[in-house]
Amino acid sequence: MLKTAVAGLRAHRLRLLLTSLAITLGVGFIAGTFVLTDTLKAGFSQRITAEADKVAVAVLPRERDPARPGEQAPVLSASLLERLRALPGVTDARGLVRGQAPLLGKDGKAAGDMATSGISVASGPLNRTTIVSGTGPGSDDGAAVLDENTAKTHGFQVGDTITVLDQEKRAHQFKLVGLLDPGVDQELAYTGAVGFTTATAQRMTGEKGFREIDVAGADPARLKRAVAAAADPGAEVVTGAELAGRLARQAGVETEALTVGLLMFGLVAMMVAALVIYNTFNILVAQRTREMALLRCIGATRGQVFGSILIESAVVGVVSSVLGLLTGYGLGAVTMAVLRAYDAPLPTGASVTLSPATIVIGLTVGLVVTVGAALLPARTATRVAPVAALRAQAEEQTFRTGLLRALLAAAFLLAGLGAAGVGALVMDPGQASLFVVMAGGAVTFLGVLILGPVLVRPLSALVGWVPRKLFGVPGRLAVDNSGRNPRRAATTTVALTIGVTLMTLISVVTASTRVTVAAKLDEQFPVDYLLATQDRDSSIPRSVGESLRKRPELAKVVQIRDTTATSGDTPVLVGTFAGPLEPDVTAGSARALAAGQVAVAASVAADLGVRVGDSLPVRTKRAGTVSLKVVALLGDESPLPSLTVAEPEFDRYFGKLPDSQVLVNIKDGVPAGQARKVVDAATAAYPTLKVASSTEVRGEFDETLDMVLMIITGLLGLAILISLLGIANTLSLSVHERTRESALLRALGLTRPQLRRMLSVEALVLGLIGALVGVALGGVFGWAAVRAMIDGASFSVPGGQIALFVALSGLAGVLAAVLPARRAARASIVGSLAAT
Amino acid sequence: MTLTETRRHAPPAVVARGLTKVYGQGDARVHALRGVDVAFATGAFTAIMGPSGSGKSTLMHCLAGLDTATSGTVHIGDVELTGLGDRRLTLLRRERIGFVFQAFNLLPTLTAEQNIRLPLEIAGRRADQVLFDRVIRTVGLRDRLGHRPTELSGGQQQRVAVARALISKPQVIFADEPTGNLDSRSGAEVLSFLRSSVRELGQTIVMVTHDPMAASYADRVVFLHDGELVTELDAPTPQSVLDTLMRLEG
Repeated sequence: MLKTAVAGLRAHRLRLLLTSLAITLGVGFIAGTFVLTDTLKAGFSQRITAEADKVAVAVLPRERDPARPGEQAPVLSASLLERLRALPGVTDARGLVRGQAPLLGKDGKAAGDMATSGISVASGPLNRTTIVSGTGPGSDDGAAVLDENTAKTHGFQVGDTITVLDQEKRAHQFKLVGLLDPGVDQELAYTGAVGFTTATAQRMTGEKGFREIDVAGADPARLKRAVAAAADPGAEVVTGAELAGRLARQAGVETEALTVGLLMFGLVAMMVAALVIYNTFNILVAQRTREMALLRCIGATRGQVFGSILIESAVVGVVSSVLGLLTGYGLGAVTMAVLRAYDAPLPTGASVTLSPATIVIGLTVGLVVTVGAALLPARTATRVAPVAALRAQAEEQTFRTGLLRALLAAAFLLAGLGAAGVGALVMDPGQASLFVVMAGGAVTFLGVLILGPVLVRPLSALVGWVPRKLFGVPGRLAVDNSGRNPRRAATTTVALTIGVTLMTLISVVTASTRVTVAAKLDEQFPVDYLLATQDRDSSIPRSVGESLRKRPELAKVVQIRDTTATSGDTPVLVGTFAGPLEPDVTAGSARALAAGQVAVAASVAADLGVRVGDSLPVRTKRAGTVSLKVVALLGDESPLPSLTVAEPEFDRYFGKLPDSQVLVNIKDGVPAGQARKVVDAATAAYPTLKVASSTEVRGEFDETLDMVLMIITGLLGLAILISLLGIANTLSLSVHERTRESALLRALGLTRPQLRRMLSVEALVLGLIGALVGVALGGVFGWAAVRAMIDGASFSVPGGQIALFVALSGLAGVLAAVLPARRAARASIVGSLAAT
Repeated sequence: MTLTETRRHAPPAVVARGLTKVYGQGDARVHALRGVDVAFATGAFTAIMGPSGSGKSTLMHCLAGLDTATSGTVHIGDVELTGLGDRRLTLLRRERIGFVFQAFNLLPTLTAEQNIRLPLEIAGRRADQVLFDRVIRTVGLRDRLGHRPTELSGGQQQRVAVARALISKPQVIFADEPTGNLDSRSGAEVLSFLRSSVRELGQTIVMVTHDPMAASYADRVVFLHDGELVTELDAPTPQSVLDTLMRLEG
């Protein structure tokens, strides 16, 4: 039987090639994911090992106490550093300083949304900072280094002079002597980093203690015991190797998330590939009915026929998986090259490798999916009766809607849609409800899969309506052909449906999120400009708001002040506001807060367990513990602090603090540019004071969403591509089956272009059916997902995008038909008529 | 003058001059046609006969523009086929030629009526309703029009195919072994129907067959042997056709 299987493979190599391509792409994506993440992991560990090798023992401060959330991060003292330096066997010890040191951009405003981290760069063997160009600060207290990204974003080069603010917001100038690579430190990569000598770092950040003390010396194990004996109680002492392990684990968690995320798309691709293979083998078996019957006639058992199909699929599986692994390696290498070219904050140093685990996983997945998808077709092959060999022609597959199919489909659809409904409408938004909706989606999809063959005819009549009118006889014949073998058409289109469903779902979710967030922003941010410092602390001089209030260009200026206090053991943010602000009151009344009264944010009130009318003890800085009467609850979208009191009361409790936020509204009719100039002028003297405009905030948010949408669409593109291979495959197999039919049409006067058009329209109809079902499913579950994720979400259907998906699916179908159509049109009429 | 006599004087519907067809190259060269000169009269039913391998199917394919001859010319009416591109040939088939094949004449997805109207629709022409009714009546398919080919018997399928060939009033109908797959009764039905369409509608029909019984329905039989036209017979009977064949093969 092996011989017949191999002969079968050889005879159908072209068709099997398309099938293998589907598997190759799927396996390639999965293998590529592993190659990429393995390489990243290797890069991380290379770096980490290189850094940690320099350290014999590291001392880390005790963990932050979860019972005291407000406290500063614990640090190690300078005296400990002195004690460690004096220990026998210690050749060197360095304390690492880290704190805020806002770098000023060339516009004189603090750079970035977050204050730049100021760090110490040790000199000597314990220097763990990677300097990528120039030099480190060495012992020059007037020198500084910047991380590459910040330098690039703000246009600083080695040799420039940079300005950094200290804790008192005083500007200091430094000579930029080099650029550093933040390496695996995600915090530094996020905030940006400016490095100084240890003394300067302490002076600039105001940090007296150290985040870590690195100790150099021989025999780390012995040194660890000595250091542990000298260290403060609670401080953690680890060897360099242990430190590396810990850093590697942190980095590993990140690459793990990337792996899982990418594998989800790989899974979708493999699912689509499985459908394509299932369909191909099904058609091949149908076309070889006589061959199978002949084998049975001459004595092959059912088992042998079954086996020969499985062997065929196994060979296809292995060959395409091997090709897939090579593709994956290529994909991984290309991605790494791209990351390197774009200077991504990821280690790209390690060489790209195909690990044994990747090879095993790739081969297994490819083989299991291929053989698994061929199981049902192989079983069909065993059912061929030997007498079929004697029949003149293979019968067309007929299809009837069985009661069982209808019941099963109805059950799945009801269960799936029901679950989605419960998740979307009944449950509270959150992970659990999202999970229920997604499970409902999967079940519904199974229902559609079962119902597919029933849907094909009516859907092809529906989407075929226009081509029927438009393309004359070829169009009509094409539409009839598309619904001719409903089972085959259904499987072919479902493969495309998967991709389109997910794309529609994602675009509905992003569009709805956009609308929802825009609405929330309007509530939350009912202002044109929001003034706040980088740290969002209460340090905006009151004069800023007061001077703005006098400007004729501005309609409303609201100043908000707040500070932390405690109520019982719970830390709370207490504040007040000055200016025309109508708080969003959910219970009680906040109009004219009197002495001893407080308005509480609804969620905080729930945490504290207070309601309107209760009294709430608050420990204040100046007035001791006061008892405040809750008179109103405020909506959570309010810009006010969690406890709001009257202004004179706030001054009495906490003193005349500066503002923490200033909200500004432009007067109607004043151009935004002019108002912006006024606001910028008022804030120019305060480098860390940032002006956010609502349009900018929305723009940034939109950009982020667009980016996410683009990446996901790109990744789903693979599944779409594979399903197109499926359409091309089905079509070329159908063309093969209909050789004589095409010849007859040509004899009757159908021109070559008309024949080609006929097949293109058939593919168009298949593509549109797949897309339409996908859009319907994606729309429904997109809605359910949005409802399940976001409380009070608005629903928005991006009509343009969805129309584009549908149009592209149709177009893609037409593209998939190009080759089969060419082959059909080229065939000689006489030769094809004679073919059996 | 009778209708038949008028036709006798009309120019022939199909004329082939010095037609040769060579397959393969070098040692594998096969001469399927070796310079055939033949004319098929308008309004006549002509049969092409010959033993297997005599080149009768090739001759028909070349005459109908389904295949191109190696040399020589073919005229359908006043149009010369030789040298026409695929598009022109296709349009010519569409406008001037009807086909009845041995098997697989009908599209399985279309009903009998849709199959019959198919050539007109491909050509974008409207059916002549009077002709349609007449053809349907003659073929006796009135009650089977809504059926698909799989629901029709072999004889019915061939009658649908003949009706389809007639409906576009082609200059000539080529029939390739139209009764090859039929039992003798159904075959006789199809053949009488072909003959009556010549008599009553004035249709020109060229039929390839190897069955002397079938050939006897024709007005004239031309005999092909080894790619050459060897003889012909007017007003054939099954016996005279059989005798001629015996002579040729013997």
